[in-house]
Amino acid sequence: MSVTRRELIIGSAALAAGSVVTTPFFLPKFHSDHRLKRSRVAVLNAHQYSQDLDQILAAALRQFPINVKGKTVVLKPNLVDYIPGNAINTHPLLVLAAAESFRRMGAKSLLVAEGPGHQRDTQLVLSQTGYEQSLREERIRFVDLNRDELIRTPLCASYTGMKDLWLPRTVLEADFLVSMPKIKAHHWSGVTLSMKNMFGIVPGSRYGWPKNILHWKGIQETILDLCATVPIHFVIADGIVAMEGNGPLNGTARNLGKIVLADDPVAADATCARLMGFLPDRVSHIHEGSKFLGTASPARIEQLGETVASPAKPFGVVSEFRYLQAL
Amino acid sequence: MRFDSKDVWHYKMPTVTTDPLVLSSVIAELALRQLPCGGWSALASSTQPAIEPTCYATMALGSVPVGDIERAHDFLLRTQNPDGSWPVVLGDDQGGTYVTSLAVLALRDLLPAIPARLRAIHWLLHCVGKESNWIWKWKFRTADRHVRFDPEKYGWPWFPDTISWVVPTAFSILALNQTPCSCDGLEGITLRVDRGIQMLFDRACPGGGWNAGNGVVYECPMAPHIDDTAIALLALRERDQHPIVQTAVQYLEQAASTLAAPWSLSWASLALAAYRRPIRPLAGSRPALSDFSNTQDTATLAVGCLALDPTRALSTFGVTP
Repeated sequence: MSVTRRELIIGSAALAAGSVVTTPFFLPKFHSDHRLKRSRVAVLNAHQYSQDLDQILAAALRQFPINVKGKTVVLKPNLVDYIPGNAINTHPLLVLAAAESFRRMGAKSLLVAEGPGHQRDTQLVLSQTGYEQSLREERIRFVDLNRDELIRTPLCASYTGMKDLWLPRTVLEADFLVSMPKIKAHHWSGVTLSMKNMFGIVPGSRYGWPKNILHWKGIQETILDLCATVPIHFVIADGIVAMEGNGPLNGTARNLGKIVLADDPVAADATCARLMGFLPDRVSHIHEGSKFLGTASPARIEQLGETVASPAKPFGVVSEFRYLQAL
Repeated sequence: MRFDSKDVWHYKMPTVTTDPLVLSSVIAELALRQLPCGGWSALASSTQPAIEPTCYATMALGSVPVGDIERAHDFLLRTQNPDGSWPVVLGDDQGGTYVTSLAVLALRDLLPAIPARLRAIHWLLHCVGKESNWIWKWKFRTADRHVRFDPEKYGWPWFPDTISWVVPTAFSILALNQTPCSCDGLEGITLRVDRGIQMLFDRACPGGGWNAGNGVVYECPMAPHIDDTAIALLALRERDQHPIVQTAVQYLEQAASTLAAPWSLSWASLALAAYRRPIRPLAGSRPALSDFSNTQDTATLAVGCLALDPTRALSTFGVTP
């Protein structure tokens, strides 16, 4: 078979064009690998919100080789909105217990920070959820991330195609960021756990209420870009009373009776997903995050505390996300 | 501060009897927070000037001999983007509809600002919710029907390239209603305002009032928010006979009666004053109102100032009670 010069030129041009178009799909979309050599997860039994959480948490934290001495610790709970009777937000008693533990561990300063995604009146959410009084009594500073100083921050991954985001100074300057999600099913993203909880650092003043541009750029993709750019150093997930069904606001409370601690957000979220009766690899941001943000594989996670057992009946979820369920 | 009502003609006219000491101390605190550049930061602890608190503060200090209002006007004029919009913070080139609308309102009494306001109004007229595009309309009518809304009725997004939401639409309506003329390419204002009003009606919560703009999601009726409802009601003042407006006013009256959070309380009292509703129940919230000066959030402080002097504030928003 002979190839003419003309055919060779056309073929080469087609090959080059094809490479230009397809290469971006095969190149990694993250800039650096944040995975630990060994990730640790502790699943704790806790059946109610009580003052005992203090001791439970302090004992569990001692099992992790973390050092917060002289550091600024930012606790980032999940505060979205308040609807009486709905288990929407991370419980303030768990946040207070975490604050007390990190203070005892020598944190230089400690604050709670959040930018609610639905309710613009952050003080109203704080007051209705009991945070305002609790934080005042314990002299813990709260920063409204929706109105904090903003810094244009280049993104360290390119899943959304956005080059940068304006992010709050408080979070960017934190030495130790603790994501404290409420374990919930979510009607747009399947689950909302420690990584999805990072939507709360995106300032409403710059991106609106809700932070709609993040939905248009892709929720799963935004989660990955955010977590690559602002690393989560530790996770304390509130699964004492979790939420299934039509979360994050109008789902049904589910008594899971667990708190999940981890030094790796992907490991934390994979563990929470298993506790919910979901297959973690089917959650897109957990699956993709396991390539550079942490590990989802149980074989590479050092399991502390209770064993991870899937529930007899998986968490309910809206029909679009039934494929997450293990059964 | 004391809320009260008195008989005026055949209706109850709400009045807000403000302790002059409270008002003057809140205004003094607001003036103290003005930055050397003329603007205000979002939080008292910050030095980064932001447009939203600057607009509210400019409105609040507009007619009192405190603070440097000229410097505030200069700051706003200086920070306008070349395309006519205003950014959220200095150094950002992306315009936001809510801050652009608020800047139009804050500069309303300034003659030299007319060209800047006209540029902003042109920008607002061209800024539409993404659902106005036929392809997204089609998507929301066929494949993506979990949020119940009519994509034909669109308003303004918080920022370009997203869909319409209640607060930016309400602020845009208030800003466009103050347009000095309808010439020079501004003929479309009436149509946009009317479409925005239809969008607000479409996005109301089934039980009354508004939240960000999702009335029903996954067949579940969503709860309203006080501030969103109050801001929407200010924009809909001229439609006060509409059943959706009347239900929202009832919701607001009920919700505000037990409210203590200053931001929501301030917006609620402004909206109730606009609808000539007795705001006596708010008297129980006096401590919250007199505690404004302690708030870190400058926008809350400034909106609190406006609520303490509702007659002047409503005039700034172009709302006639």
